[in-house]
Amino acid sequence: MLVKYLLATIVAGLFAGILLTPAMYVRNVPLILHAEEYEDAGGHEHSHDAAAPAAAAAESAAVAPHTHEEEAGPELPFGRLGNTLLINLVAGAGFALVTGAAALLLGRRITLQNGIYWGLAGFFIFNFAPAFSLAPELPAMPAADLAARQAWWLITVLLTAGGVYFIVLREEIWAKILGVVLIVAPHIYGAPEVEDLASPVPPTLASEFAVSTLATNLFFWVVLGTALGWAIQHYAASELDG
Amino acid sequence: MAAARTSTTISLPLASRLTTAVFSLMLGVFIIYGVGLSHSETLHDTAHDTRHSYGFPCH
Repeated sequence: MLVKYLLATIVAGLFAGILLTPAMYVRNVPLILHAEEYEDAGGHEHSHDAAAPAAAAAESAAVAPHTHEEEAGPELPFGRLGNTLLINLVAGAGFALVTGAAALLLGRRITLQNGIYWGLAGFFIFNFAPAFSLAPELPAMPAADLAARQAWWLITVLLTAGGVYFIVLREEIWAKILGVVLIVAPHIYGAPEVEDLASPVPPTLASEFAVSTLATNLFFWVVLGTALGWAIQHYAASELDG
Repeated sequence: MAAARTSTTISLPLASRLTTAVFSLMLGVFIIYGVGLSHSETLHDTAHDTRHSYGFPCH
């Protein structure tokens, strides 16, 4: 077991997870909070009065007849920011471990110089490709069946990862073509679609959120890739050189 | 480019890398599943903002 390599990837993941948290609070979390005002205002009933949802939200918060599950939910007791920080640390380690494992399996070394490319590949695989057909959602936005969307998300990530491998790391022409096919296929097949597009969340919020999340995740992956390269070079080089 | 420090490949044989790689991959996948996809209500509520921000299907 290459313990130093594992620890180096985890350290890089934790570092990227820490930085992701303030990055999320610049745009993404304020947009989520804003959208939740419309969610609490009664989700499915379709209000045309712009002032009504906010008023209803205030009312329901005061009287709390329909307490939304997220407010009464069994989340860990560290507060909204604390929970998000904790999850980002864990998630950062998770994505770092997967990236480190992929490099190790492929016999490739992540360095400070090429780390950004590993990060860009991760962003493309985990964020950009799925978002192309399944845009990041705000709370209260209409969405298709959760399990179907999760399955599509997972399959798209796996196919895109395969596609990136064939395009970037294989020389053969057939591999390049196969890579493109793998990346495009889930979008031709199409993500699960929602029947009723009517949404209580203003479309401006949704479009702002889609862009801000992609930008934030691009930042996360660039930091993660670079940090992976740095940490592996500094802490695990002796292991890899055998 | 021949210097070991700038090499982008690992000379260690696959057999020596495999255990760590598989362990790392499984641990990472387990974590990503828990953070992003698990239907556990506690995990969902705790990870809520990160799931939305990351583009995981949520709700």
